Amino acid sequence: MRRIATSHEWARLDGDLVSVGTVAFDKKQLGDIVYLELPKAGATSTVGQPFGEIESVKAASELFAPVDGVVVAVHGELADDLDSLKEDPYGKGWMIRIKPSKPAQLDDLMTEAQYDDFVKTL
Amino acid sequence: MKTTPLHPLHVAAGARLVDFAGWEMPVQYREGILAEHLATRRGAGLFDVSHMGRFEISGRGAVPFLRRVLSNDAALLTPGQSHYTLIPTATGGALDDAWLYRVTEERWLLVVNAANREADWACLQRDAAAGGGVLLKDVTEGTAMVSIQGPACESLLQPLLDGALPPPRRNTCTTADFQGRASLVGRTGYTGEPLGFEVVLPAARVADLWTRLTAAGATPVGLGARDTLRLEAGLPLFGHELGLAPDGSEIPILASPATRFGVALTAGHGEFVGREALAAQAAAIASLQAGGPGDPAALPKRVYCLALADRGIARAGAEVVAAGRLAGHVTSGTMVPYWEPDAGRPGTVSRLRALALAYLHAGLRGGSVVTVHVRERALAARVVERFINSRTGPYAVPVLS
Repeated sequence: MRRIATSHEWARLDGDLVSVGTVAFDKKQLGDIVYLELPKAGATSTVGQPFGEIESVKAASELFAPVDGVVVAVHGELADDLDSLKEDPYGKGWMIRIKPSKPAQLDDLMTEAQYDDFVKTL
Repeated sequence: MKTTPLHPLHVAAGARLVDFAGWEMPVQYREGILAEHLATRRGAGLFDVSHMGRFEISGRGAVPFLRRVLSNDAALLTPGQSHYTLIPTATGGALDDAWLYRVTEERWLLVVNAANREADWACLQRDAAAGGGVLLKDVTEGTAMVSIQGPACESLLQPLLDGALPPPRRNTCTTADFQGRASLVGRTGYTGEPLGFEVVLPAARVADLWTRLTAAGATPVGLGARDTLRLEAGLPLFGHELGLAPDGSEIPILASPATRFGVALTAGHGEFVGREALAAQAAAIASLQAGGPGDPAALPKRVYCLALADRGIARAGAEVVAAGRLAGHVTSGTMVPYWEPDAGRPGTVSRLRALALAYLHAGLRGGSVVTVHVRERALAARVVERFINSRTGPYAVPVLS
C-alpha cells in the first residue's frame, strides 16, 4: 500500500524495503523537472530530513525521507529519464529504496485518500 | 493587481499566473517553460510585454533632454531607428535599462522595465522640468505591446499588417496599420533571435492581434521562458546583472558585456548623467583587454557567462571561486534547453544544459575554469564568450563547449 507525505514523497513497502518517489510533479505544479540529485547507496535516511533535491527551471525543492533507515538502492538512471517522474511516478519514477529501521513510521504518513483531501487544502 | 488587456486570453489558455512588479502575468502556459523556449528557437514565440512601461517623448527640447538623461546618444537615431540605452545614475550604475525608438522626427518612445516605471518617470520628469520644452507622456495603459520572436515570426506577422515591416537591418522600426490603427513595429527583442519584432498598438486591438498570431502558429511564451531565452542570449536583466548587487553596491553599467551597445562615449554626445564614471569603466575594460590591470575602483567585477561542466544548477546567489579565492556570485542561472544542431539548423533532439551569468572579479579570462558552490557540492564551470550564436541567422545556434 502506498503512503504519501505532506511534502509529496510517496513510500511503499516492497518486501522488506521501502521504495520512495515523489508525486510533486502532478500535485505541486512544480513545472518541468530539469535536475535531480539523489543520495549514494549507504546513506543514512532520517525521517523528515532531506535525502535529495528536485529542481524545475524556476526553483529547487528538497526531497524528504519518509522513514528512518539506510538507503540500499538508488535509481541512478532516473537523472537521465526525468520524464518518468511525470509519466510513471510510482513505477519507473522510483528514486531510492530504504532498509527501514522502524517500518511502523509508514503508518504516520497519509493514505492516498487522505492525501487527495490534503492537496485540496493547498 | 494590474492586468494587461491580454489577461483573459492568458487565463483561457491555461497560463499559470504570478505577480510580476504588481502585474498578474503568465509565467508559463500549459506546455511549460522548456517547450516554450524550444518553440521560440525553432518557430515563433509570442510574448505579452504590455506590462513594460512606455513613455512618449516629444517637444522641441526632446533631443537635448534624451541626450542628457540616457547613456546612448539619441541624436544617432534617424526616424525609423531604435537602440538599446540605459538610464544611468550619476555614479555610472543603472537606474534602469530601456529601449528608445525614434518613431518620427519629433516623436520618441522609451520602453522601460515594469518594476522601475515609477522611479524612471520621476527621474525623467525632474530633468524634463528643469530643461524645458519637453512633453512626457506615460502611454503604458492606453497601449499594449507584444513581442514575436523566432525564425518563423516574419511570415506570421507580415500578412496581418497593412504596410511593410521595418527594413531588414538591426533595430529598425516603422509604423504599420493593424486593422486600420497605426502600430509601431520594431525589429527588436530580448531573446537573441536573429529575427524578432515588437509591436506597440492601441490596447483595444491587441487581443485580436494575439489571437490571429496564435491561430497562425505562434506559441505563447510566459515570463519563465522569456528569462531562459535572455539568459541563453547573455542579456542582462535589471535586478540581476544591472542595478544593485546583493551586497548593496552599485553594479557598473559596463560590467555587463551587452551594455556597450547602449553607451555612447563619443565627443559628440556631450555631457550626460554618469558620463565620467562610464568613461572610467570603459577605460578599465580597455586596460584589461590590453593585458593591463584594469581599474578596480571603477570596475571591480564584470558579468561573465558560465557554462557548467558538472551536473547541477547554479542559481542566483551561489558563490563562485576562482584560483582558490572567492571571485563573486551567480546573478542568474538555471537549466536551459536547446535543440541539438543539425547542419546549422535545430535538429529533432532537445537537451538541457546548465548556464549562468555571474558577477566576478574583472580580471578573469575566457576559458578559465571556476567552481560554483551549490549546497555541499562544488561544481566546475567554464567562462565562455557566449552561449548562442545569433550572427549568421536565421537560427540562433547553441555554442556547445
